[in-house]
Amino acid sequence: MYPEKIEKLLLKVQKPGRYVGGEMGAVIKDKQDVDVRFAFCFPDTYEIGMSHLGIKILYSLFNEKPYIWCERVFAPWLDMEEQMRAHDIPLYALESGDPISDFDFIGFTLQYELSYSNILNMLSLGNIPVLSKDRHDLNHIVVAGGPCACNPEPITDFIDIFFLGDGEEVDLEVIELYRQCKKDGKSREEFLQLASQIKGVYVPSLYDVSYNDDGTVAAVTPKNGAPAVIEKRVMMNMDESYYPDNFVVPNIEIVHDRAVEEIFRGCIRGCRFCQAGFLYRPVREKSVECISKQCHALCQNTGYDEVSLSSLSSSDYTQVVPMLRELNSWAKPENVSLSLPSLRVDGFSDDILNEIKTVRKSGLTFAPEAGSQRLRNAINKNVFEDELMNTCRVAFEGGYTTVKLYFMIGLPTETMDDVADIPLLGKKVLDTFYSTPNRPKGKSPRVTVSASSFVPKPFTPFQWEPQDTMDVLREKQQHIKKTMAENHISPSKMSYNYHDSDTSYLEAVFARGDRRLNKVMYEAYKRGMHFDGWSDCFSLQAWFDVFEACGIDPSFYANRRRSFDEVLPWDHLDYGVSKAFLRRECERAYRSEASPNCREKCMGCGAMKYGGGVCYEKR
Amino acid sequence: MKNVRVFYRKFGPCKYISHLDTNRVMIRAIGKSRLNIWRTEGFNQHAYITFALPLSLGFASECESMDFRVLDDDEDLSAIPARLNECLPEGIRVFRCAEAVYKPAAIDSAKYAVTLEPMNESEISNIELSEKWEAFLQLPEINVEKKTKKGMKTVDLKPYILAYEARQGEKVCFDLTLPAGSTLNINPNLLIQAFSDSIGTELYADITRVGIYTKEGEDFA
Ligand code: SF4
Repeated sequence: MYPEKIEKLLLKVQKPGRYVGGEMGAVIKDKQDVDVRFAFCFPDTYEIGMSHLGIKILYSLFNEKPYIWCERVFAPWLDMEEQMRAHDIPLYALESGDPISDFDFIGFTLQYELSYSNILNMLSLGNIPVLSKDRHDLNHIVVAGGPCACNPEPITDFIDIFFLGDGEEVDLEVIELYRQCKKDGKSREEFLQLASQIKGVYVPSLYDVSYNDDGTVAAVTPKNGAPAVIEKRVMMNMDESYYPDNFVVPNIEIVHDRAVEEIFRGCIRGCRFCQAGFLYRPVREKSVECISKQCHALCQNTGYDEVSLSSLSSSDYTQVVPMLRELNSWAKPENVSLSLPSLRVDGFSDDILNEIKTVRKSGLTFAPEAGSQRLRNAINKNVFEDELMNTCRVAFEGGYTTVKLYFMIGLPTETMDDVADIPLLGKKVLDTFYSTPNRPKGKSPRVTVSASSFVPKPFTPFQWEPQDTMDVLREKQQHIKKTMAENHISPSKMSYNYHDSDTSYLEAVFARGDRRLNKVMYEAYKRGMHFDGWSDCFSLQAWFDVFEACGIDPSFYANRRRSFDEVLPWDHLDYGVSKAFLRRECERAYRSEASPNCREKCMGCGAMKYGGGVCYEKR
Repeated sequence: MKNVRVFYRKFGPCKYISHLDTNRVMIRAIGKSRLNIWRTEGFNQHAYITFALPLSLGFASECESMDFRVLDDDEDLSAIPARLNECLPEGIRVFRCAEAVYKPAAIDSAKYAVTLEPMNESEISNIELSEKWEAFLQLPEINVEKKTKKGMKTVDLKPYILAYEARQGEKVCFDLTLPAGSTLNINPNLLIQAFSDSIGTELYADITRVGIYTKEGEDFA
């Protein structure tokens, strides 16, 4: 229940339903009955946080333990923050309404770099000392996990513990250790040191980083017995991994308001720009029976009539058609519709179309990522033009008229000719529409081409690459427009959206940053910066001012080419893919050479050491 | 097929579910309850439900209603409240289900229980606020700007106060009956805002809808 004090303020803010809790499926316990209180914080709005699968899994998992009470906390929107600060209301958790300073753990999920400023802001709104070194007792342990934990160096001053890899086991092990340390009257330092011995746990305060004269990292040195290399955790048996049979069902509309079933973890593809494709290796699938059972329970318990079958690339699920048939055996009679996001161009078969369109048609979205075949080979996005056109033809014959195409600009090895091929590919889709005899009659096609700016990320073959400067990115955006005009592509048939390169620049700085950026984060927080992922708040100039005040050159992080033998700030973290493999992949990119996927041929990335998944499938 | 009306209370966190979101919450609850009710046809099929009188965001209510059609004429209506409650958030409680007696168009007025207090307690005492409120109600006319389909219009709220009764309490508490329904609907916040503007003090109003009536003064059933 929300704190009484906010009642009077709620009608002064937009969407007050964000701040009151009281949803179906929210877990209420008596705080006297639990040993550990965990505040699960999502550093963005309620609508975004509540749409996130990871928080749902861990929330239910933690609350299954009688001795833990896990509650949800989201970043209050600007209007609510203003009210809370004006009326001295500390950040509170939605289930109990208690301030987060009453909690043992304050856990954040790190989904995108631009949410870091919200983390600091949320701690301060909760009256928790923002800097780890200012937190002394055995409480207020600030932990964080999620994809950005693979290079957490820019926020090591604020977070006590990072969890690497899948959280289902390691989180509970650390909570259990805390409970024991509490009983034994151990100190915060003793607890952190013991925690660092658990696989998948990174305690940044137990490492010293030294730098070379040129500003690159010289060495990362563990102390107090912390391991030199921290290995990620992996759940190898997905059928036996915990999956919730119920979600907190929001009362107000959120971004993804439906049941979600994870059908496999990882991706066989190895697109060279895609961090998720390397972080979650190897691919581990759930069985059809398990998926069907979990989906059915979720729909029955939540009342949702839509299930999204989630993964990085749904059509790569080996049993996709049998799975859809099995699901539809109960979903159809129960009026539940299935959606299959992240479909690949070549995975879009008639069989699949039949199973999902029976209930609902959604627009078609494909991500060729690059306009030319040459560049698609270089980034290892194995999408071929004829496949794309075939798929579009099938879709047009099936009554679709709109197609969205996603691209990136600023990819390594990209030339202006590659850029021009982006709108030209869109044009070919339009041509395909008109050459399809059974196209929807009397309707005109519509193609949307979106281009975002490429951000080089750790643990990808492009981790050494410079990001294009903003000037170059703008030039490339203009080049797309110019090409459209020169080729007389009608804006009514094809629209072009590009994402602002400003946020991509900041993302690039923090994605591959080192510990010296902590100072920048702290200064930004002191200047009141937050919600950088939102155009309402983001100002690149404000960030440039912070960098300048801190004497740090952001282009060192964003636009510099690293040499292959440089010590990278995240080299002491092990996600299963070897640096040698990433380098080989990068060199293949320079030769515009694609690589086979894990099911075609093993490229020896290193993830075989986990002893299962796709690496051991029969080829 | 029978036209059925369920009556429910809405309170606590559920006060902050907008009308549109209430619709979604109810559709999901009906789906989950597996009640066999008439559904819309077409692509996006869902349970067909209607609401007699929308409730403003932030209001609690003792007397909300929702209509739908049950497909089975022998459906046990008395079991429906419990079945729905199992599928609804705590702050929405169904307490009755019966065949609809009146059409929604029969709604004529609604009664609200209001508690008024200053947003900032140090600004004005409850006693002073109460005196000012009494004086405000004595004004010959209470003119406010009201949004209508044809733009802003000045209306005198005084004749619309169909009934008024002060209640005992530390704070300023009263019951207020105002026109309600699809032809003329007066939101109690209009009156409270006019009062707030007249005394130059920001107010907080806790409002609960406690009754909905037909022209004849019968409870909307
Ligand atoms: S070891 Fe081979 S099969 Fe396994 S994830 Fe790596 S490349 Fe794929």
